[in-house]
Amino acid sequence: MKTTLRSGLLALTLSLMGVSAQADVTVYTAGPAGLAKALAVDFTAQSGIKVNLYQATTGKVMARLKAEESNPQADVLISASWDTATSFAKQGLLLPYTSPNAAKVPDFLKTDTAVAQGAAALAIAWNPKSGTPKPEDWSDLAKPAYKSMVTMPDPAQSGSAFELVAALSGAGQDALFGDLASNGALVAGANKAALNPVLQGAKAAVFGAVDYIALGAKAKGEAIDVIFPKSGTVVAPRPMMILKSTKNAEDAKKFIDFVLSEKGQEEVAKTYLMPARTDIKALRPTITELNLLPGDDAVYAKRGAILDSFAKAFGK
Amino acid sequence: MQGGQAPRGILRPLTAAALIVVVVLPFVFILLQAIFPEIGAGSFARPFDHLHATLASEDFTRQARNTLLLGVGVVLASSVIAVPLAAIRALYRLPGALIWDLLFLVPFMIPPYIATLGWILSLQPMGYLQQLTGVNLAPFLFSYPGIVFVMALHSFPVIYFAASRSFAAIGSRFSDVSRVFGAGPGRAFWRVTLPLATPALAASLLLVFAMSIEEYGTPAVLGAQFGFEVLVTGIDTSISDWPIDLPKAALLSLALMAISLAAFAMQKRIATARDFDVVGGKTPRAPTRSLGVWRGPALGAFAFVAFLSTGAPLLAILATALSRTLSGGLAVSNMGLQNFEAVLSDRSGALSAMGTSLGLGVIAALLAGLLGIAIAYVTRRGPKPGGGVIEALAMLPNAAPGVVVALGLILLWNQPALPITPYNTLAILVLAYVCILLPQPVRYTVAAFQQVNPSLEAAARVHGASAARTAQRILMPLVAPSVLAAMLLVFTVAARELVASLLIAPVGTDTIGTYIWRQFDQGSVGEGMAVAFLAIVVTTLIPLAILSAIRKFERSASAQQAAF
Repeated sequence: MKTTLRSGLLALTLSLMGVSAQADVTVYTAGPAGLAKALAVDFTAQSGIKVNLYQATTGKVMARLKAEESNPQADVLISASWDTATSFAKQGLLLPYTSPNAAKVPDFLKTDTAVAQGAAALAIAWNPKSGTPKPEDWSDLAKPAYKSMVTMPDPAQSGSAFELVAALSGAGQDALFGDLASNGALVAGANKAALNPVLQGAKAAVFGAVDYIALGAKAKGEAIDVIFPKSGTVVAPRPMMILKSTKNAEDAKKFIDFVLSEKGQEEVAKTYLMPARTDIKALRPTITELNLLPGDDAVYAKRGAILDSFAKAFGK
Repeated sequence: MQGGQAPRGILRPLTAAALIVVVVLPFVFILLQAIFPEIGAGSFARPFDHLHATLASEDFTRQARNTLLLGVGVVLASSVIAVPLAAIRALYRLPGALIWDLLFLVPFMIPPYIATLGWILSLQPMGYLQQLTGVNLAPFLFSYPGIVFVMALHSFPVIYFAASRSFAAIGSRFSDVSRVFGAGPGRAFWRVTLPLATPALAASLLLVFAMSIEEYGTPAVLGAQFGFEVLVTGIDTSISDWPIDLPKAALLSLALMAISLAAFAMQKRIATARDFDVVGGKTPRAPTRSLGVWRGPALGAFAFVAFLSTGAPLLAILATALSRTLSGGLAVSNMGLQNFEAVLSDRSGALSAMGTSLGLGVIAALLAGLLGIAIAYVTRRGPKPGGGVIEALAMLPNAAPGVVVALGLILLWNQPALPITPYNTLAILVLAYVCILLPQPVRYTVAAFQQVNPSLEAAARVHGASAARTAQRILMPLVAPSVLAAMLLVFTVAARELVASLLIAPVGTDTIGTYIWRQFDQGSVGEGMAVAFLAIVVTTLIPLAILSAIRKFERSASAQQAAF
């Protein structure tokens, strides 16, 4: 404790004096923190290039980028929402790069300016000790057995929840949201807020849980089952991008190469995400094994309307 | 009288300069952001583009109304808890008085977002309370009274300590006089003690009000469950949800600041309406009056409040930290030390995060304390014009949520033209903490200065002491306890600050707050709670050591005065 305090104070004085070590590549990334750190450490060990990491929610990362616009600090950006890649590319903020390691990444997970680090899928996270029957499809959660026992991330706050809502309404399941609402489902907060009540048993299931977090909790021994609904779900690929403003494109490219290397992708797989490369073994069902709802690239243009009708269904 | 005493010279310009760097410049950038939407990119295009749409919206009206409701509710609830306890503590012989003080210090050491999570884990369906007794209080917790309850249990110590200190300073001396003239004990308290304690009380009520309207964690987590939005949650939404809307966040913060400044103006009117010099050079004697038959009920009230504010949240935090899994519940087989082992092995950087935060807390407390004294001296003992402006500026951050201060600091210090900048070093966190917390030392110190009768300084001057010597021998010993208390407050709050740190922490740095938040974010509630528990213990022990030093200091100060 004492030594930690002392080293903390030492680091403090050093950086207060402005002696902060100038890192070689600065990465802004959405969670999970463990993965970001592991990738940074392994990359530095392999290449000798230091990584400066800023990890927060996708929203906070975006806010920081926006506030830093006049003097951008980040080289590499990893978001939890593919929409970041689309909208940043449209604004001309990204440096085109195709990593040689991206050869094994399927086409729909890469563009000229972005490539997936990995992907999550949305699922039902269900507590088997909740005394409710095991749900098999989204619509099950609107049944009386789950009255007031379902929670759902707010699509206005969670990009992946929004994509699920958009895909379900695109598949003609609009009525489902009204049914959920009259069944007492609670729409609250971003993704992480939804899972804890289910773990403790205050709620029975999350409608649209980000699967890798729930799978990780299950691996730790929590009573939680991850169910991929039979009518289909959506995946949320996590795009990696190099910002055009980078002063260090070579090292940024090396970082992307590393994340897409076998070792990097194995780190990704360890967190229960789907690795972007098809030749890396996943610890969970992958895209080819999941039933996907038909996607529509234009949903973000209709975002306002979709959120409005969702909010109306929930009487907000 | 007051005006002529101040040492002229460099103190005033120095103070003003420090205030400009720490507070004014970041706020200028927030203002610019509110007016010019593209300022982040260095452009002054489309001024006032956002103003109408933001302020005319239904959301804004609702959020502003809820903010006021919340602030007033928490102030009322905190006063109902704190003022009677403070009066008993200050005016009567209370068994275990110091222990109660200590217990009431703890709620302030528990980060509000952690306490809220503890309450949720305790009271929600299948929570700890239901596991133990079979009932849950979810309908109460997820309601307006529930939010007020949780926040009041966190903030009542602010009023309790300010009020009991002030009641004790007024002492039974003044009310004894009224008793001699025939007033009953209740009447003496209402007509003499309470009115004389007004400056300290009003200051602490304002502090609680300001804390409540800028608190993020509790309204965000509890309010989301029943659609209770306040300005701060609106600000956070516009800063972190797609599409990011920084100008709207800045505008909402300006609205929040307007509310807070209005409250500040009201407090000033109350505090300066009459003369409150009650410290006449004699330190208060320990109260001698006995509680009589009220001893049992009084102790019961203290124990009940201590359990609700300290015991219950700490037990919930500890239970979660000791649980192997959350779904395993409160079973013996589910309990273990593995979360603490994981934290203490420092695999994930928990200890270095604690080291960083404690170091930053100490530095922020020293700087804020120093600046606070300078501001109080300049405004209370300096010439009147300008003093009010300085004080109002120092109070400004009170009204701004941490996330907005962080935003202003980025906009300011990340300018490409700056040859040297604290941005992306730990110094930016120090700047953020000093800015956010400066109102605390200023308020405490100003209130303390206000209670010191200027005739004490006049007497010293008459006896030939220089202004500097007068400040050193008379003023400082009398205000030192308040300043130290305020610095402890800065230390504790800075050490656990979350909202600003999350946005502005230099790359690669974790503080206690951001570390715990990351653990929660990854679903490791147990490890997060283990760190929270250790942090609470450490941040309680450090101020304790210092508080005992204060008492020694007070004793030697009173010995000095006796000799004088």
